Amino acid sequence: MIWLRVAAALYSLGLLDALFLLTRQRDSFFRPALAAFGLGGLFHLVSIVEQGLMQHQFPVNDIFQTLSFCGFLITVSFLFVYWRYRTESLGVFIFPLVFILALVAGLSKSFPAWSSPEARGLWLKVHIVLILAGYAALLFTAVAAVVYLFQENELKRKKPRRFPFHLPPLGTLDDLISSSLRVGFICVTAGIIVGSIWACVDYGTRWIADPRIGISFVTWGIYLALVFFRSSAGWRGRKAAILAIAALFCSVATWVAHVGILVQ
Amino acid sequence: MKLLLTGVNHKTAPVEVRERLAFSDTAIPTALDALKNGNGIAEVLILSTCNRVEITVAAQDDADPQAAIDSFLVEARRISSHSLGPQLYRFEGREAIQHLFRVAASLDAMVVGEPQILGQMKSAYALSKSAGVMNGLLESVMSRAFSVAKRVRSETGIGQMAVSVSYAAVELARKIFGTLTNRTVMLVGSGKMSELAARHLRRSGASHIFVTNRTHSRAEEMARLFDGTVVDYLRFTSMLPEVDIVITSSGAPHYILTKEEMQRAIGVRKNKPMFLIDIAVPRNIEPAVNKVDNVFLYDIDDLQGVVNSNLAERQKEAQRAEGIVAEEVDRMLARLKVQEVAPTIVTLQEHWEQIRAMETAKFLRKPGAFTGEQLEAVDALTRSIVNKLAHAPISELRRQAAHPEGAHVIDALRKLFRLE
Repeated sequence: MIWLRVAAALYSLGLLDALFLLTRQRDSFFRPALAAFGLGGLFHLVSIVEQGLMQHQFPVNDIFQTLSFCGFLITVSFLFVYWRYRTESLGVFIFPLVFILALVAGLSKSFPAWSSPEARGLWLKVHIVLILAGYAALLFTAVAAVVYLFQENELKRKKPRRFPFHLPPLGTLDDLISSSLRVGFICVTAGIIVGSIWACVDYGTRWIADPRIGISFVTWGIYLALVFFRSSAGWRGRKAAILAIAALFCSVATWVAHVGILVQ
Repeated sequence: MKLLLTGVNHKTAPVEVRERLAFSDTAIPTALDALKNGNGIAEVLILSTCNRVEITVAAQDDADPQAAIDSFLVEARRISSHSLGPQLYRFEGREAIQHLFRVAASLDAMVVGEPQILGQMKSAYALSKSAGVMNGLLESVMSRAFSVAKRVRSETGIGQMAVSVSYAAVELARKIFGTLTNRTVMLVGSGKMSELAARHLRRSGASHIFVTNRTHSRAEEMARLFDGTVVDYLRFTSMLPEVDIVITSSGAPHYILTKEEMQRAIGVRKNKPMFLIDIAVPRNIEPAVNKVDNVFLYDIDDLQGVVNSNLAERQKEAQRAEGIVAEEVDRMLARLKVQEVAPTIVTLQEHWEQIRAMETAKFLRKPGAFTGEQLEAVDALTRSIVNKLAHAPISELRRQAAHPEGAHVIDALRKLFRLE
């Protein structure tokens, strides 16, 4: 188990690289991130072998082990594809994905209980604030996307001024969409890490079966896809706007599920 | 004081008449002098542009400014106002104020909402001011006209929409890209309109202009105009991913840019948007290009359509602007009337004060009959009686001044108190 956590820690450098790339803070972080990713893969292999030896069978017995193994396969394939085709941009998608998989798998054994109830409350609050910030950013993105679609439609139809008020230019809206998406993605990623750790400590190993958490991961996945399509595949404009609106709907579904489950 | 405005404009008179009446900036000071010397005229404004020649004067109530202007026209321009017939319009008082406000707000312009006229009016105003013939009623009307123009501009959208094809193109580019700073432009072929559009784009911040033409020397000529780069005509499509805005106006008889080529270019650009302006007839760009995501194609008819809808929009805004002008005219007239009544109020107050002072002096003439305190008390008492009596008529005067029928009341009051 310790090796898997070490691997997750190394993978987190990859996540950082993706975030740096998105916020355009720096661009030369890919090499160290890739090195850490490779090393992480090695520790990951060690952890899988160790688990297999301990249980005397192939370690895909529960959801955690399956996720771990799945993450490892993705790591290997990415390294191979990178070695073959130098596809640096895929990292934006793969690094965060593998990190989250390894993190979740690494949380299969419970931590010792909370040192104090205050710490538990605070941890939970941080999680909630981050996730809410992520939702807010996504809402913002989706609103900008709707306005974008209206403005784009007007420009394409060549009949401007169907609206009594001025819509912002497409370029501005596109910038708005991409920056709010970035902020949102960072918040949700951080929120989901904090939330997973909280759930692991609080519920023990049962936490992964909680549907709320499952849905949160789905939202995060949609966010990841959105960010990836935008920054690497160059999805801009109408398609990206539609995708952003779809992402908001998924998030709303998550939200409703959350509330629904709490009511029950 | 009364106002009289006499003039012709593009709606009433053809250019042959307007040019005969026109005054150059250097001729205006002498003309102002000549008019001022005529019978009872206190203030003069001569507004002479390519679309209008208008002379506005403020004259004493007993003067005949119309005759003065007619004889001035005969002297200075050898034109009798009779020969102009209905081409010449005359506005007095309220109508003159309204006309000045409308002209300043560009409601009377050839293209409604175009802002040049305000600048022209301001320089005409400055000429009158420096000639010393702008210092009373007309001055307050003019400065009000300038603020009305400002109000119309800020409260309506009259001047906001482009009404020429080349400006419409720039406006659309702004709607697509936001800022045009650091955008690159490519001109394919040459032509007056594409040159104009490129010039506007350049002024709005476009950073670089590529030029291509089947005739290399023509391309070089255009490139020199904008400090641009010449691109070989045969490989200009390979440059497309580098440019944000393309303006085509080549004489090619077939499409020189197809949907497939644009799809490839936009792919290389990672879907960064492109704006294509096709001014050529026959068209240079395949119309289906507009279906490509993030590509916006406008041909000459599309641009003209935008211009037409903008013009229609300006007309709508002009309706709102007329409302503002009417409101401002009423306000101006009310203010002028209040100003007019001020001398009457002052005379009335002086008249009563005189009576009071005289009567108390008569009463207190005996020396030593009253103590200082008593003298003060009598003085205070009489003042307070006079003020109480004066209060109602004076406030009624002010109130009536703002009404159209107020003049009668003011007249009656002056007669009642024998103020003449």
